[in-house]
Amino acid sequence: MLSFLLKAMITRIILSLLYICCVSPIARADSLSIKIENAWVQAVPPVADTTAAYMKITNLGPGPLRLVGASSSVATRVEPMITTRQERNGQEILGMEAVPDLEIAPGATLELKPGRDHLMIMGLTSHPVEGERVKLTVRFAPGDQRLELEVPVLREEPK
Amino acid sequence: MNKSVSELEKDPIPGSTPPAGTRRMLLAAFAIVLALLVSFLFARYSAYRTVQAKFYGQPLVPAKEAFDFRLVDQNGKAFQLSQLRGKVVLFAFGFTHCPNVCPTTLSDLAKVYRALPARDRARVQVLFVSVDPRRDKPETMKNYVPYFDDSFIGLTGTEDQIAQAAKPYGAYYEIVHNAGESPDGYSVNHSAFTYLISPDVKWKLLYNFDQLGDATKVVRDIEQVLNGA
Repeated sequence: MLSFLLKAMITRIILSLLYICCVSPIARADSLSIKIENAWVQAVPPVADTTAAYMKITNLGPGPLRLVGASSSVATRVEPMITTRQERNGQEILGMEAVPDLEIAPGATLELKPGRDHLMIMGLTSHPVEGERVKLTVRFAPGDQRLELEVPVLREEPK
Repeated sequence: MNKSVSELEKDPIPGSTPPAGTRRMLLAAFAIVLALLVSFLFARYSAYRTVQAKFYGQPLVPAKEAFDFRLVDQNGKAFQLSQLRGKVVLFAFGFTHCPNVCPTTLSDLAKVYRALPARDRARVQVLFVSVDPRRDKPETMKNYVPYFDDSFIGLTGTEDQIAQAAKPYGAYYEIVHNAGESPDGYSVNHSAFTYLISPDVKWKLLYNFDQLGDATKVVRDIEQVLNGA
């Protein structure tokens, strides 16, 4: 009984800490070398098992930075993807390709946006509802830099 | 034999040169044909420019007879494009396992639809055609497409039906297995265009993925087509 109460309390404390840390719209790594803005997750119908996360990532550090992946409490896998564009029959064919990482030069901003590079969220284990926030841990190299985000689920790109 | 060839080269067959009068007539005929051709091309070009200036989407000049595809709707019923005669139809190809392009296209279309004056909405229909019939069954489409707007209709069909529907619109798609995905997990590369069909079932306009993002301009095109442009 006591241990159960203790567990519940610890969970609550962790959750509220997470909330305090992550609710700010701009997240920064401890080194202040990564800035993430305008992060959002595309709201999709309940039947969909994939969606995407979009954001602007600025490398404020002196060296190149690589976005290597992410993880989320709502999906089995989150991976960086690029959108390929090629012409066929005079029409543009859009496709997507998994990439091991997305590089961001010092001072540069990587814009993950619809129809461009994105973080593909695969194998949704719970359906992210519009208006909700989902937890997303974004991982960078070199080193193992992790940024914890709470990202709003939106129907369309915020203006 | 050799001699006669060299003679021919030196002196062309006597009488092969037409008399001056015939030559002039030929020249005149040639000039007329050329002038006709140039003016025909110019007329076509200026017609294209006029239509192009009128619309935000890429126009088909002249508008093509829209291919009357036969598919299956999200309720499992047979569906034909010509059922929607009298309406402006906007449709795009895609698949429901698509994380990026398709939800964006559909939310762009929803934005366009909601930006239309209420009285015109009844005369506009948005369709989303699956290019992944293996995974996209009618019920999948029903659970996916109307999410973006209640009025939207999802279509699927047999592989043949879909191939037949895509070809006349120049739409292309292919299954791609991304490295590291489960055997069932595959993606489909596809044309991300939106096609606009006029109420008389003509294919009038084409929007690429990026163009569709400007709802106000797409709405203006729809209004013009509804008004008979």
